[in-house]
Parts: sequence; C-alpha cells; structure tokens
Amino acid sequence: MNSKSVPVIAERLTKTFRVAHRSAGFMGGVRAIFRPTWEYKPVVRGVSLSVQPGELVALLGPNGAGKSTTIKMLTGIVAPTTGSVRLCGLDPHRNREENARNIGAVFGQRSQLWWDLPARDSLVMLRDIFEVPAGEYRERLRQFDDMLELSRFWDTRVRHLSLGQRVRCDLAAALLHDPAVLFLDEPTIGMDVLVKEQVREFLRHQVAEDGKAVLLTTHDMKEVEHLAERIILINDGEEMFEGGVAALRSRFGATWKVHVTLSDAVGHPRLAHARIVAREGARVTFGPRPEASAPLGHALKEIINAYPVSDVSTEEDSLEDIMRTYLGGAAAARQSASGGSRMAAR
Amino acid sequence: MTPVGAVATIGRLCRITRVTWLSELLEPGRMVSTAIQVGSQVFLTACLWTALYAHTEVSAGLQEHQAVGYAVLAVLASRLRPLSRDMAPDSFYRHMREGTILYWFLRPLPPHRYHLVRALGDQAHGLLWVLAGYGLCTTAGVVPLPDGRWTLPAFLVSMFLGQVIVYQLSLILDLLCFWTVANSNALHVSHFVQSLLSGAFAPLWFFPGWFTTANSFLPFQSTLHIPLSIYVGRIPVNRVPREVAVQAVWCLLLWLITRTLWKRAESRVAVQGG
Ligand SMILES: Nc1ncnc2c1ncn2[C@@H]1O[C@H](COP(=O)(O)OP(=O)(O)OP(=O)(O)O)[C@@H](O)[C@H]1O
Ligand SMILES: [Mg+2]
Repeated sequence: MNSKSVPVIAERLTKTFRVAHRSAGFMGGVRAIFRPTWEYKPVVRGVSLSVQPGELVALLGPNGAGKSTTIKMLTGIVAPTTGSVRLCGLDPHRNREENARNIGAVFGQRSQLWWDLPARDSLVMLRDIFEVPAGEYRERLRQFDDMLELSRFWDTRVRHLSLGQRVRCDLAAALLHDPAVLFLDEPTIGMDVLVKEQVREFLRHQVAEDGKAVLLTTHDMKEVEHLAERIILINDGEEMFEGGVAALRSRFGATWKVHVTLSDAVGHPRLAHARIVAREGARVTFGPRPEASAPLGHALKEIINAYPVSDVSTEEDSLEDIMRTYLGGAAAARQSASGGSRMAAR
Repeated sequence: MTPVGAVATIGRLCRITRVTWLSELLEPGRMVSTAIQVGSQVFLTACLWTALYAHTEVSAGLQEHQAVGYAVLAVLASRLRPLSRDMAPDSFYRHMREGTILYWFLRPLPPHRYHLVRALGDQAHGLLWVLAGYGLCTTAGVVPLPDGRWTLPAFLVSMFLGQVIVYQLSLILDLLCFWTVANSNALHVSHFVQSLLSGAFAPLWFFPGWFTTANSFLPFQSTLHIPLSIYVGRIPVNRVPREVAVQAVWCLLLWLITRTLWKRAESRVAVQGG
C-alpha cells in the first residue's frame, strides 16, 4: 500500500527534550541563568504506528508516557528528534499549512475557540480560516447539531460554557473542514455519562460513515472498549503493545471466572482450559489454568460439556483491570530497576 | 494569484479581524469605560498643558496650541496600539502559557499572518476611537487643524510608518514568550518605557539634550514623536523626507528582526504540558 492511502504512518519516532537543569534554591536559579546546564530527557523512544481510513486507534499509557508528545509530533506541531511521520503523504512539520487541511485535532483541556465570542461565531471564524464553502459549512453544522445538540448553547460565549459543552464545540470546530484524520487527546475529559455516550456515537459515525482515521488518547477504558479496533500501549515513551483488545487480554494475562451451579453431584474430570478455584456445595468457580491462559469462550464450552450445569455466570477482567495489573507491574519493575542502578552508582 | 483570488483572500483576512469588533461590541461596559478613560485623559492633558503655558508664549520651541495639540494627539494615538489584552485569555502570553498556541500551528493560516491580521483588526478598531476623538477635539478647538498643504499628507505617511513600528515592537515582546514563556514583566516595563520614549507622556521637545540624543538611536520616537511633531509643525515640511527615511529604516530593521524571530519560534515551538 502506498503512503498516500494510509492517512497516518509514523516510523520509529523519538523525541528528546532539552531542559535546563536547575538546582534548588536561589543560587541554583542564579546559576541557571548564567551558566545553564542542559539535561536531555528522552520522552518518546521509538514509536511506530499507522492508522487506516475508517479506523479508530487508541493510544494508551500512564500519565507522562508520551502520548500527547506523540500526537504533537504526528500533527506537525513539534518536530521529532528522529524518525519519520507521513500524514496523507505529507511531512506534517515541513508542510504545516497544507497538512492543516488534512487534519483536525482536539486537545481536551485546551480550546481553540475564541474566549470572548459566542461559540457559533468561533465556528464562523474557523470557516473563514479554513475557507469552507458556505453550503458545506451549513450542512456540516446541521449534522453536528443533530448529533451533539450544539444549538442549545452555541449562542453562549465560550467562557460561559460548561466543560462538556465547550469540548463538544471544539469537536465541531476540529471537524468543520472535514479532515481525513482526527487527533483526539483526552476529548471526553470531564463529560457526564450521557454526553460521553453522545460523543462516542458521534465519533463512531465519523469513523464508520465518513471513513475518518482517528487516533484517540484517553484514560477511560470503557471508551476504548466501545470505540477502538486497535490499541497501542506506550509506557515511558516505548511501545509495549499493538493489537486488538482480545490480543491485549491474552498478552497481559487477563483472567476470567466462570461460576456454575451443579445440578448433580459428580466427580471432577480434568479440563484442558479451566480449573476449579473455589467450591461451596453445589456452587463451583472455575478460573484459567495457570500454565495456559485460554480464552473464556473455549473454557466455557468445555465446562458445560463436562458438567451437569443448572446455572452459569461469567466474569471477565475489564480493560481497566488489565491496565491496572499491567501498570502496577511496570511501576514495580521500574522501581526495582532504578533502586538497583542507584546501588550500583555508589 | 489571480485578481479574484487576491480579493477573496483579502476578504477572508478582513473577516478574521471581526474578532476584535465582535468581542468589543458584546461588552458595552468596556466601550463605556474606554470612552470615559479617553475623555478624561484628553481633558486633563489639555488643562495641564494650557496651564503650563499661562505665563509663557513659547517653550522648547513649541507654542501653546502646538504643545496642547501634540499632547492631546499623543493621548488619542495611544489607542491605536494592539488592544491591551495583556492578561486576557486571547493574549499571546496566555496562549503560550496555556498551550492553546498549538492550534495556531494546525491552521492553514501561518501564525505570523494570523498575529498580524488580529493586530490590524485591533488597530483599525482603535482608529475609529481616534477619529471620533479627533473630530471632537478639533471642533472644540483643543487640537489645531494642520497648517499648510503638505502637512497632513506628510503626517499621515509618518503616522502609518509609526504604527508599523508600534506593531513590530509589540510583536517582538510577544515572540519573547517562545523563549521565556512569560512576557508579563517585559510588557509592564515596555509599556512604561515606550510611553516615555515615544512622547506619549510629554512632548519629547521638553526633555534634556542628552536624553533626546540617546533616544534618537532608538525606534521609539519614530512611533509618535515624529508624526506628531510634523502635525503641529514643529518639524518643518522640508525636513520630513529625512525623518520619514529614518522611520522606514526602522521598519525594515524591525521587520528583519521579527521575521528571524518568527522563523526560529516556529521551528522550536515546544508546547508545554499535555
Ligand atoms: N516541552 C517539554 N519539555 C520538557 N519535557 C516535556 C515537554 N513536554 C512534555 N515533557 C515531558 O514528557 C513526558 C511525556 O509527556 P506527555 O504530555 O506526552 O505525556 P502523556 O502521555 O500525554 O501524559 P498524560 O496522560 O498525563 O496526558 C512528561 O514526563 C513530560 O514532563
Ligand atoms: Mg497527555
């Protein structure tokens, strides 16, 4: 496939920030002015990714993992230290103006709307800046209004809008020029459940109906489960995983439980995929075998075939549980590693 | 670019300047306070300079009507600078601090052009205030009408160049944000320095010789002092070409500086936080 037909391609992106090192206290501040010492801080270390048309990819990772920095490189705001980005066939940093017509972006905590103007006037400003023809503009605005209920508040000045209202206007603002690629950095931050659902529906529409390529970062795992076909997990600037939700489960040892009530007392045949983890009279709980974590579906079938079951319920780790386990493990590993290096330095 | 394309582009840029108008019109309170502020400043300035001339005919080469005219016009003209939204959410400073500047880089309008268009809107808005004030002041006889056929055109040319310099100086302060993130201190200092050295506080003719000599090596007097002196006739028309040439050189120099700064800023921008 050539690079033009894949809207987003990034290869081995790295970003190292140069930060002035400043020792504590007043003298530290004075010294930093006259003789700054620079520290190089690698923030993104080799991230490769691609997003296809009509695909929503979630970029996940803990705070400070480098997600926002990656998005800034992909959108062309910041130049990568090494590696390459192609957006609709262009180098976004070199061709900022041309690139701007192909992409839209929402950085959740930041608004691109004009603070003193009613939201709708901000949209008109963007229409002029992006040179959107009047007819298309009206049509799109109507569509956004249908899905996001903007007309209820778009005559309010932006500084009086609630967070959820403002971000919805920002979404409309980012899509006004019908870009092929949409970057969303924590777009649903601070939205209530109903509005979140509304925005999800809107995004699903943008991806499925309009074929937009969307890259999303969020800390809301429900959203990922609902929206993302593919997940890219980064930690400490390094890519840890890339694949579907199911693959993520098996990769990070997601676990499940099957609770059954037996209708007859029977012996306990050995199962290939499941083992008993608890039993209480006729109620038995199964979990995966430690040596091979099988998918829930296989185990369930096996259990039902082997036992006389009168009632069944299942329980599966949510994406949030998986992330928690994974991040907990990663943090512990980092702590022991840095502890070790400190010992070595002494 | 075709003529039609050029007209379309200009129309589009003009429409972008409406941010200024809309946000001012939506705030009638702000307009009233501006009117009160300008009105009282003009009145007090006129009183002060009239009083200073109670016992003299000519001081520092200026007659009473020249000094009053200069001082009052200086008050009016300070309305022309890019709106003082120093700490407002739409200031460059706040865009840098809060990182919303990143959206400027995601539009098909380069940041330097957007900045210019916004400033033009602000300055055009200020011009309306100035024209209204000027009309009132000349009718009331506080500001004399220009003398001689060439005075007004010479003044307009010089004033235009002065405004270009005002924009470039304020742009340099804004661009400092790319290196220091905050320019609020620089803004405070520069407002004072610029007002003092441009003649907005008092006509520069009253300052000691060493001061004027030093100041002549700086761009500030080109912003107000030169055009206003041309207007009141303190700089005779035959010396205008030389003064205007100096202004033009400043424009060119500052343009080179701001262009370089923009280039560097646009390539080094590292939007904070996220
Ligand atoms: N301009 C900068 N200069 C120096 N360091 C920076 C800069 N921008 C970001 N960083 C650092 O890079 C790291 C990654 O930041 P980034 O904003 O990309 O994280 P993130 O994954 O988006 O986190 P979050 O989930 O909290 O939004 C952080 O440690 C941050 O301190
Ligand atoms: Mg972030």
